[in-house]
Amino acid sequence: MCGINGAVGLKNISELLFEGIRNLEYRGYDSCGVALMNKTRLILKKDVGGVEDVYRKHNVLQLQSNIGIAHTRWATHGKVTQNNTHPFASNDGNFAVVHNGIISNFRPLRDQLQKEGFKFSSETDTEVLAHLLEKFYKSSRDIEKAFVKVLNLIEGTYAIAFISSHLPGQIFCARRESPLMLGIGDEIKFVGSDFSAFIDHTKNAVILDDGEYAILSRDTYVVKNLLSREEITKPITKIEWDSETSRKGGYPHYMLKEIYEQPQTISNALDLEASGLDEIVELFAKSKNSYLLGVGTTFYVAKYAKYVFSQIAQEFYPSISSDEFRVLTNLNKQSLVFSASQSGETFDTLSALKYAKSKGARTAAVVNVMGSSIARLVDKVVLQGSGPEICVISTKAAVSQMVILTVLAMKLALKKKAITRKTYNQHMRALQELPEIIQGILNERSGFIHRLAHKYSGTRNWLYLGRGVYYPIALEAALKMKEVAYVHAEGMPGGFLKHGTLAMIDDDVSSIVFVPPPEDKSLYEATLHSIEEIRARSGFVLGIHFTEQGKNGALYSEELILPKVPPLTAPLIQLVIGQLFAYFTATSLKRNIDKPRSLAKSVTVA
Amino acid sequence: MKAIILSAGEGAHLSPFSETRPISMIGVAGRTLLDNTFGLLKSAGINDIFVVAGHKREKLIEQLQQQDHNGLNLHHVEQKRKLGIGHAVLQVKNKILPGEFFLLAYGDILTADNIFSKIQQSFHSFKCPVASICLPPSNQMFGNVFLNARMEITKIVEKPKGNNLGNYVLSGVFILPASFFKLLESSGNSMEKALKKVVAGEGLRASMWEDEWLDVVYPWEILTANKMIMDSWKETSIAKDATLEANVTLQGIVRIEAGAIIKSGAVLEGPCCIGEKSYIGNNSLVRSYTSVGKNCSVGSGVELKNCVVMDNSQIGRLSFVGDSVLGENVDMGAGCMTVNRDIDWKPISVKNGKRPMATGMKKLGAFLGDGVVVGAGNTIQPGTIVAPGKVLPACYSVKHK
Repeated sequence: MCGINGAVGLKNISELLFEGIRNLEYRGYDSCGVALMNKTRLILKKDVGGVEDVYRKHNVLQLQSNIGIAHTRWATHGKVTQNNTHPFASNDGNFAVVHNGIISNFRPLRDQLQKEGFKFSSETDTEVLAHLLEKFYKSSRDIEKAFVKVLNLIEGTYAIAFISSHLPGQIFCARRESPLMLGIGDEIKFVGSDFSAFIDHTKNAVILDDGEYAILSRDTYVVKNLLSREEITKPITKIEWDSETSRKGGYPHYMLKEIYEQPQTISNALDLEASGLDEIVELFAKSKNSYLLGVGTTFYVAKYAKYVFSQIAQEFYPSISSDEFRVLTNLNKQSLVFSASQSGETFDTLSALKYAKSKGARTAAVVNVMGSSIARLVDKVVLQGSGPEICVISTKAAVSQMVILTVLAMKLALKKKAITRKTYNQHMRALQELPEIIQGILNERSGFIHRLAHKYSGTRNWLYLGRGVYYPIALEAALKMKEVAYVHAEGMPGGFLKHGTLAMIDDDVSSIVFVPPPEDKSLYEATLHSIEEIRARSGFVLGIHFTEQGKNGALYSEELILPKVPPLTAPLIQLVIGQLFAYFTATSLKRNIDKPRSLAKSVTVA
Repeated sequence: MKAIILSAGEGAHLSPFSETRPISMIGVAGRTLLDNTFGLLKSAGINDIFVVAGHKREKLIEQLQQQDHNGLNLHHVEQKRKLGIGHAVLQVKNKILPGEFFLLAYGDILTADNIFSKIQQSFHSFKCPVASICLPPSNQMFGNVFLNARMEITKIVEKPKGNNLGNYVLSGVFILPASFFKLLESSGNSMEKALKKVVAGEGLRASMWEDEWLDVVYPWEILTANKMIMDSWKETSIAKDATLEANVTLQGIVRIEAGAIIKSGAVLEGPCCIGEKSYIGNNSLVRSYTSVGKNCSVGSGVELKNCVVMDNSQIGRLSFVGDSVLGENVDMGAGCMTVNRDIDWKPISVKNGKRPMATGMKKLGAFLGDGVVVGAGNTIQPGTIVAPGKVLPACYSVKHK
């Protein structure tokens, strides 16, 4: 089992060949080699080891050639040695051959060739091909004729490709029972064991059949029947493939990939250096008036932090949307402006921070992208280490920021003795359990969420309701729905209902309620009360809650039941549910998940 | 990459259609499930295909040998004894070289988009064994797959306990190394056990499939499969030598194959398809999601709706066939009716063998096995299954003495 790759084009192909053969490495990995053409002279580089090692060792990428063949081997005949590695050159050095398969009659052929004076350098079956080509070329002076003669002589299975200095712009290839296909690009042609070899460069493939051979050159290719030597018109197969998808691993979209990465990114957030966080806590402690800043998702992160700082550390810091910052603040040298940004390039946040600096305020930020403008601008920065977030819609970065802000609030509370060490440790344990709980939810609840989202994907208006810290969660979950599914979703505090919103409740407006765990007694009861208000008007309610099924009778129209968790992390878990609900609604509605219409990843304009 | 398609199973739940054919030979939207699989494999760049044939293999082998396969290299391997899926996979052992990876797919699953491209792309990025997973419409009959963020499958639960699990399941498409055969052999030919060994050993990555996916288990799911394929159609096609008489109305996406004859006054509401050399009589109404196979004859004034009529069947004049599946060589007399709903709109149960099965569908007609003869004037109760070859006498309200 081996992999073959070849390319002939206009420019230097040695790098393309490298990428292609590396993509074929799964087919064999004990040794590899490449044959290139320096003007009219063949150059062979081959060795034992993986593709990257061999390329590095022999500086293959520095060689220039616009034609070449490469091979990665998994030994069947002959040991794993440099001599047994493909490609093989003929004695006169004018032919270089790669082969996948087994030439079953190679022994008698080799004996014959040896009698005629050909020298063999390896134990492989393949080497006979190179010498046979040289021998038959000498008599006919026609490479194609020589090739056909060789193919008619050999028995067994093969996919063969070779180049020759006699015709330095052509690749010859053929197959019998071993896969081989051609890649047809503009001004470049490929041959490969499968289309991984060339899929990054062309999606047009011609699949060779048994008893056919092909000749490729930069601009054209021809496939012929081995018996009749007549040209065959082969259909071009369009490979449905994009290399973007490959980078997503097995995930259909980056958004889901990033949702699934959250257990890991939360762990990363909890493993951040304590000293860096302590410095920021110090800033909060020293400042006379602090502001939490963000825009879009990060504004909701800031809003969430406002509740957490208030509840855990008994400190009230206003959260302000970056774009509204200038008109709302009163800054001086005792102020602290703390902002959150995934990209660290967000225009509104950046200009708000610059404004704060101009007023002499201290600044700090939690940012995902190292070396970004915000990271460089602020006095203290926490790099959250969530890894690249590619989907335009923020998921893992936002949840990690929420976790980091929770830790900051806990540290501040401990410092000013608003909580005991024991409570601090309890909170810490709750956070440390969070990755596993989220993993469990992803593994056991995705199917339910998918079914619910699919069933209600026709809903055009959602109210997302939450009380207390669940209110920013409702806001953020609703934003996900707006961004990815283009569905109207309004985050709102539960208490707002009877002050106006309740009038909207009818068949066209459905509600999702983020219900706190019953341990959070007053918040829990107040939330149930909100639900009753909606149900009394025959409104639809999807309840996301932590109590047993059916415990609250017919309170919910639909329910999504979550395992029992500590109240500290319950909102974060519900946010993950909100992310998945938005995601699956969007897939049901066939939205452009990773690049929603009208939106861009980092908003670097005003 | 080589592909192995498993088409050996008996599919007992699919009676009466599985009694006379492998499941993968059931025709929907004008082609068999197997043809659909072949088409997807081809556009995924796979053309060396081994089909494991077992139950009713003659029919499958005959088709593999007869058809022009559009450049695919099709081979069949026989599983002569009914020893399960793992054993079926082992029949292909000597076709896969050491170190080689192969694609394995169950023959009774159906997707409209290309699940094989998707899993190959995942394989391309992981370069290790991959299993395709999906979220099925219900988890009742499937297992549960647990993942971590790197898409590694950490656990496979075959029969989840309690109703609290709802998640990804194996969708019946895998890319596995040749060493999998050894694992199968050391696991008593159990597919589940061997997969668990891959999970514990080399590791098994997941490739998420989010588009529609169907495992055709019950006869009424043939209608679901039919709809799924027809919904993926993008354009109308009418063969050059099909005959459409004057005053034929075509609406929506319609496929008419070579040699078909559509008589004057017929209305075809797409999506629907009329197979090769089939005949649609005057003033017939062919409504959406109707698939008529090859060489069928539909008499004048017949109404067809959301139904699959397999090859060589006849439907007599002034009949109604709706929400029903007719096998091959069915001969339905004139003036027959497949009643497709209960008088009080209750969901229809299907009685097949011992006990009735709830389908949850409010509209469902009849399922007539291959070669069933329905005499003229019969009215068939919703959810009726008729065994292959059965002859139902005609219903006369007036008889000669």
